[in-house]
Amino acid sequence: MVLELARPRPIWQIMFSTHHTDVGLLYLVFSLLAMFVGGAMAIALRVELFAPGAQLIQDAMTYNRLFTAHGTTMIFLFLLPSAAAVGNYLVPIMVRYKDMAYPKLNAIAFWMIPPAAALVWLGMADFGWYANPPYSVISAPAPAAEMWIFGLKVLGVSSILSSINFVVTILKCKHPDLSLGKVPLLAWSFLTSSIIVLAAMPTFAAALLMLLTDRLGVSGFFNPAVGGDPIAYQHLFWFTFHPEVYVLVIPAIGMMYEIIPRFSRRPIFSHSSGVAAFIILALVSFASWAHHMFATGMSFTEKTVFMVGTLAAVPASAMHVFNFLATMWNGRIKFATPMMFAVGGIALFFAAGAGGVVNTAMPLDFITHDSYWVVGHFHLFVFGTIAFGTIGFVYYLFPYITGRMYNEKWGVVHFILAFVGACITFFTQHILGLFGMPRRIYDYPEIDAWISMNQLVSVGAMIILVGMVIFLGNMIYSMAKGKPANLEDPFGLGGKYYYPFAQRNPQHGEGGY
Amino acid sequence: MAHSNWAEWIYLGVVTALLIYVGAEAWNVERIIDHAPADAEIIIVTGQQWFWTFEHEDGTKEVGELHLKKDHAYKFEVTSIDVNHDFNIPEFVVLMDAIPGRINTVWFSPNEAGEFEIQCREYCGLIHYNMRAKLYVEDV
Amino acid sequence: MSRIFHLSIIITTLFIIPTVSLAFAAETAGEYIDRKAEIWNLFFRMMTVAFVVGGVIAGTMVWQVWRFRESNPNSKPTEYEEKGEF
Ligand code: HEM
Ligand SMILES: [Cu+2]
Ligand SMILES: [Cu+2]
Repeated sequence: MVLELARPRPIWQIMFSTHHTDVGLLYLVFSLLAMFVGGAMAIALRVELFAPGAQLIQDAMTYNRLFTAHGTTMIFLFLLPSAAAVGNYLVPIMVRYKDMAYPKLNAIAFWMIPPAAALVWLGMADFGWYANPPYSVISAPAPAAEMWIFGLKVLGVSSILSSINFVVTILKCKHPDLSLGKVPLLAWSFLTSSIIVLAAMPTFAAALLMLLTDRLGVSGFFNPAVGGDPIAYQHLFWFTFHPEVYVLVIPAIGMMYEIIPRFSRRPIFSHSSGVAAFIILALVSFASWAHHMFATGMSFTEKTVFMVGTLAAVPASAMHVFNFLATMWNGRIKFATPMMFAVGGIALFFAAGAGGVVNTAMPLDFITHDSYWVVGHFHLFVFGTIAFGTIGFVYYLFPYITGRMYNEKWGVVHFILAFVGACITFFTQHILGLFGMPRRIYDYPEIDAWISMNQLVSVGAMIILVGMVIFLGNMIYSMAKGKPANLEDPFGLGGKYYYPFAQRNPQHGEGGY
Repeated sequence: MAHSNWAEWIYLGVVTALLIYVGAEAWNVERIIDHAPADAEIIIVTGQQWFWTFEHEDGTKEVGELHLKKDHAYKFEVTSIDVNHDFNIPEFVVLMDAIPGRINTVWFSPNEAGEFEIQCREYCGLIHYNMRAKLYVEDV
Repeated sequence: MSRIFHLSIIITTLFIIPTVSLAFAAETAGEYIDRKAEIWNLFFRMMTVAFVVGGVIAGTMVWQVWRFRESNPNSKPTEYEEKGEF
């Protein structure tokens, strides 16, 4: 790979580069920055909810703006870009091509993200990450709402561009000797998730424009006051965003497919089963969107159809879990930090899926819908599974990027804090939901059970925060002072695998990597 | 790499069987609770930023509180006059979105007398967190 | 062997619990269906299944992590390690 730090370069050279490793680095740095920004917002929300009454945030408006920015940041500015970072680093290497198929387009896709982030962060809209009308049309304050709409528009285009690039790189630029069936599962995960983006994202792009014209008063697609239908927006939104949750989770599973065989010192149990499960997930992800809308007054028949569609995705997820466990079986497993995050992520993946099955079992949605149960459910995915996979992979790439090792002991401490913190925070949120606490509330009445559980959730969030600060410290310190990594085999696993560092960056001159 | 996959097939069979069981059970319970009895009294529930209004069959209106009789059946016709809300009585697992331009129905029969919370479960703006009402179930 | 054991647990939950619940569900006191009881009973049945399956998976994982960690005295190099193919 590039050894960014071993061979320092002027920063503008990285910024204006179109080489996939440089773009990957930009994605990585930006996404981690966004993670800390979004994390700070989450901490503010949790401090506020520690007890009834105003704690840190003095008014509901600020709270509402913060949870909207938190969700938008974590999904669009942390998870999507961090996946793109990993894809940029490894997909060209895995398909044995010199770069992404369209290097300039690749850099453009990245550079669309910071301005979009500025729109979201400076605007601070207040309608939740889903911007449901009619609230978003008739009630949400301007210009925040417009800025959010434009920001998401740009992010949508960016993710379409980068998806086109991944699909073309994998299908058209792979080495002729490499058959598609032999392409590593991490690259397969980018192929399938990119195809989902291409099929799903245009719907949301259209919905955003309709929302904008509705706000301008020139149309009334979603405004019942002029004959529009707010439920239509929810269909368009979830048609994009249920598949989109798989866009987030599939690359994280791909990263686990990279880590688990390596650290178990065995090849993946079944490559073909992994490919099949990715393809099935990509297809079935389009059959379940309206499980988010059971409470909008759908008929019994509609609900049944979408429950069946949702349940149909579970066997494919279960195939991945089986594949992971079967790979570890009879291995000689080295529990370095990346492997810990991967294995912890699998455990939470199951719990998250089980919560999802409860959501979709039609009558149970009356218990869980828009309660803290749902918040717990999807955080077990977005944090417990996806961020775990991603953070584990950041540790895994660290020596290749910096030429130095991170501190293993502090890595383990980070993992333990993240895992324990996630369990405390997100399992307690499930129970809080069972006790009827709605989500997206700035304050709550003095119900004893709610108070103590909210305090537990906030303590869990603090534990995660401590872990993240350690993560940041470890990265910054090790980048400068860590011990030099043995790039042939930084984790001491033995064996020959593709050598990520072997990709030459032309910016590094003769003899450099 | 040659290995047999029988274990994976068995595993998938078990997973699928469990999912069919879950789906069938859920379907069955939904079927049981779906149909309102013919003699259910209709109550029109209207959400608006940020309070609830209830209109009984005889035309009486209540704001912020709802009085019902134990062991009677009630069918709520839920709607909204501004943005989306969600009518929720957590104690009785009653939950239905209030959407402007639509009338959604949900029914229940309180089998317990007392005082219960009514709240809004769908984000609806500034005072969403305090869009609450009280349900009084009277023993008659 | 253990697989058969796990399977039998799952099958037990699959058949015994619905039978038992069916036997008791019939006699609801009031005239109307008790919505709250129906839904929460379904919830607890689903939780039984979820926790049994979760227990099996978590148990398997904990055992694997303990048994196949490289620091376990019983751990031996995998057949792929010598050839360096993984
Ligand atoms: C086994 C797989 C899954 C099932 C069965 C499932 C099921 C569900 C259901 C039924 C809901 C709606 C709950 C409600 O609001 O009433 C839901 C909500 C949600 N799920 Fe999942 N899900 C699964 C996987 C995922 C994954 C992989 C992600 C994310 C990566 C995810 C993220 C979410 C989010 C964000 C929501 C909340 C939506 C909102 O109300 O804003 N789910 N899930
Ligand atoms: Cu979904
Ligand atoms: Cu509300």
